Amino acid sequence: MSNVVREDVTLEQTWGELAQTLEAVDIDGALQETAAGAVRATRAGLFRRAFATLAGVAGLATLAEDAAAARGQTKNDIAILRFDLVLEYLQAGLYTEAERLGELTPKTLGWARVVGAHERAHVQAIKNLLGRDTVPSPTFNYGKVTSDEKAFIKTAVGFEDLTAALLKWQAPRLDSRSIVAAVVTLHSVETRHAAWIRHIVGLRPAARAFDQPASQQRMAELIAATHFISSRPRVTGRRRPKYTG
Amino acid sequence: MVWSRGRSERFGDSRDDPATSTRRQLLGRSVVAGAALAGGGIVLGPRARWAGAAPSRAQDVKIFNFALLLEYLQAAFYGEAVRQGALRGEPREFAEVVASHERAHVTYLRKALGGRARARPAFSFGDATRSERRFLETAVLLENLGVAAYNGQAANLTTKALAAAAAIVSVEGRHAAWVSDLAGKEPAPRAADPGASAADVVRSIRRTGFVGVS
Repeated sequence: MSNVVREDVTLEQTWGELAQTLEAVDIDGALQETAAGAVRATRAGLFRRAFATLAGVAGLATLAEDAAAARGQTKNDIAILRFDLVLEYLQAGLYTEAERLGELTPKTLGWARVVGAHERAHVQAIKNLLGRDTVPSPTFNYGKVTSDEKAFIKTAVGFEDLTAALLKWQAPRLDSRSIVAAVVTLHSVETRHAAWIRHIVGLRPAARAFDQPASQQRMAELIAATHFISSRPRVTGRRRPKYTG
Repeated sequence: MVWSRGRSERFGDSRDDPATSTRRQLLGRSVVAGAALAGGGIVLGPRARWAGAAPSRAQDVKIFNFALLLEYLQAAFYGEAVRQGALRGEPREFAEVVASHERAHVTYLRKALGGRARARPAFSFGDATRSERRFLETAVLLENLGVAAYNGQAANLTTKALAAAAAIVSVEGRHAAWVSDLAGKEPAPRAADPGASAADVVRSIRRTGFVGVS
């Protein structure tokens, strides 16, 4: 096997490369500029749009605070878990579609198969944690990313590195220690995914001694820049479903 | 399932004191549904209640000292493996990179603990650093143990200490995946990495026979 290690690749570089790749692939023809450039130029505006998208998707805006409090989960924790759930839906969908299309190299497909199964398990685990506060999956359109080796790799590295960084940001911000205990068991698996895909493509799996956190804002920006979310799901709002099991 | 066990056990102390056992009996049932691993699926039990003692600075010190033991062990292991010179190619590169990370973790924890940092024990690694096969096997074990140890204590830490521990365990997870891939094992064998109790981690360390009798 060739030497793994090229050089230290920072989150910023990962982000920049991913943005370039997504532009090159031109997912929906709507990416006029690289996401990284867009973030620098109109950071506030993009963030507002990104977060509005996510908030709509995750139903954060319609959070039923009283219902959550009645079950001992804070509004804060539910918001964090809902954010994670949408992200896990997105990743599970991405890897599952790549596996189904089968157009990537065998090694990458092997990674997608295992990691896709993990992300689907994470979806279920977070749904269980949320109980009635869960949110439905949006519809995704991954464009060519699930069938183009180079685009897939960049996207996978970016999402795994950033998801791990996001969970590091969230963990100390959770109120419930039970949820902390659960979320950290997912966090280290995301770091394994990141290291593994990096190893496959010849990037250093562990670039430094301490991994930095990345905020929900950063992740919201990334998700918005990918244009993977193609439609809003039904927003259940405050109405309770008639049958909740 | 492991992360739901031994919530109330003490850090770095494998003895089973009566108070601990009682607490465990009382609280065990409420957390036992916390996480179940079944096939590829995981269940993070809805609303399982965390039963460990409330986070405090004093508890952070115990947990960081427990983590420091592991970091001393890892740093010494990789340091010796590099010095032995039995490794070539990527395994050697892994040992060098990871040795520097583990030394940085030791430095960080010692600084955070100040005068309360435990002393470095004596280690003896036998043939574990003398062949590539034994080295990779041992590294997989030590890195997975590190992940399980940190994950097992995360909810017992104060917010600030948790942020630091997360920055470290993240890298341990990367090491684990990297060396597992090198050793021909699954880099991410499960959808969730269960935490281990401090007692279980200490038992695993003892079983290696690496820590000198003190």
